[in-house]
Amino acid sequence: MLVKQLLNHFKMAAFLAAIFAHGPLVAESMESAYDLIARMAKASKELSYKGLFTYEYRGQLRSIKVVHLVREGETYERIVHMDGPEREIVRRGDDLSCLRAADMLLRGSVLKVNDSYAKLEDYYEFYIRGDARIAGRKVSLVEVLPKDKLRYGYIVGIDKETGLMLQSVLLSQSGKPLERFQYVDISFTADLDNFQLSSEMAESEDMEVNKSACLEANQKIEPAPSLWEPQWLPPGFVLSSYQPAGADGQESWMYTDGLAVFSIFIDSTERSRKFPPLDAKLGTTVAVLTKAQYKNQHYAICVVGEIPRATAEQVAKAIAPSSLDRLSTSSQAK
Amino acid sequence: MSDSKERLAESISALVDGEISEIEMHRILKEVGIDQDQDIPINSADSARGIWQRYNMVSASMSGQPVAKIDFSASISAAIDAEGTHRVSIVSRFVSSTGRFAIAASVAMVAILGVQQLNTPDPASADVIQFAEMDIKSTEQNTGPAIQFPSGFQPSIQARTVSAGGNNKTSQYLVPVVQVPKTEGQQFSEKELRAYMDDIMLKHSNNAALNSNQGMLPFARVTKSEARSSKE
Repeated sequence: MLVKQLLNHFKMAAFLAAIFAHGPLVAESMESAYDLIARMAKASKELSYKGLFTYEYRGQLRSIKVVHLVREGETYERIVHMDGPEREIVRRGDDLSCLRAADMLLRGSVLKVNDSYAKLEDYYEFYIRGDARIAGRKVSLVEVLPKDKLRYGYIVGIDKETGLMLQSVLLSQSGKPLERFQYVDISFTADLDNFQLSSEMAESEDMEVNKSACLEANQKIEPAPSLWEPQWLPPGFVLSSYQPAGADGQESWMYTDGLAVFSIFIDSTERSRKFPPLDAKLGTTVAVLTKAQYKNQHYAICVVGEIPRATAEQVAKAIAPSSLDRLSTSSQAK
Repeated sequence: MSDSKERLAESISALVDGEISEIEMHRILKEVGIDQDQDIPINSADSARGIWQRYNMVSASMSGQPVAKIDFSASISAAIDAEGTHRVSIVSRFVSSTGRFAIAASVAMVAILGVQQLNTPDPASADVIQFAEMDIKSTEQNTGPAIQFPSGFQPSIQARTVSAGGNNKTSQYLVPVVQVPKTEGQQFSEKELRAYMDDIMLKHSNNAALNSNQGMLPFARVTKSEARSSKE
């Protein structure tokens, strides 16, 4: 037993020594892994490229063709689904200079939220996990692990030359892969300048680009001017866009921590009134629908996103009439 | 001491230190059983219980606690033998089982609005169902109510929880799995609800493509065709 105790002490000492000896190395690799991620955010927007990628979820595979062009400071995108029913999405005219909350968070810009600063490193750890070859190109693999159980982790493959993300695997909390996004072919040197951005298919969706969510450096993120307000958000998530209720009676919010995103939809329409509270799931996207009643009006509150179900549920439960509205109501009552 | 006894002594030492693994623990217990079968006395130097006793004495003396060499094990097992067995009355058993049934009935009243296409299983769908079953097991969050089916449900309902289409036409597409607790009666149209969920998921993914740094990935997650095929 004495021998065993001695041995244990020795093991502990060796372990500690190993940690101290390794310390600077860990810090160094973390920093550069984070730099890679920050570069990735810039690359996906500012590069011109065309390629083919696959999306896999539980044994189901989809392939999608994509063109991304930058012309005179604006981006153009065309996304064509290669299998199944025809679908083509064209998105034009997003400003290169338009940075949204997620861009800011990933690029390490300072974002002010309620007088505190949101930082990606506070919620994720970054590790370089070696090199790989994807779509015929050399990539660095970076593992991004959440520090809490409120979000998922990722393994991303980042092109060494351009910084574009060529692979992304979403990891469950137990580290199992949930979905895989991966390019099979990509070119940056094709004659993109002569490329016609006309649609290939009869049925094409022109998608609007909402520029209202663009942010200036150091801009403070204000809460949405709405009757409703989430009283709790997973730490690190900031408002990245808000759509006030239009003719369809639907308001929506989008929150991001830089990597994960979720949306909140609040409906006051007749049809949504009848819906019961429910859970839904499509691939890695979960939706939690709850009901609320305020001033004799029924509301359907739906939280949708690529986040663990428990997180979505917690957000949905914490949505309540905003403090401003409650204040004005109480003063009216007096 | 033989090799195996030496390893046993090491395991017991670990047990004294509170650092034992489960496998080692089982080995020690097995050894104690063998000792008893062979009637090896506790004060024998080689018996597991003897080693345990000696190690504890050494440990006690090192930490300055009083050293005692009393073996309670015989009297404890005698006392256990002497104790009468507990009887469960028929009434209380009935009450507890009906209670359980009531809980099961109220908790598990879950309606699954599933995929219409799966009602006619064909041989080709076997693989798809297998994937989907993996799906149910491996989703860490959504398992709960989906697999607790109340007894009154048709077996086909189970296949309907599946997130994939079953026939050739739609087998490539994912369709949202929607779980509705069936507590307040069904005053809504399933079709409307499904269309609503599809619409919301599509809006989310389109918005996510602009507001996240995942590039084209959100476009791949949800497609309009899915929304359409599930509305049909």
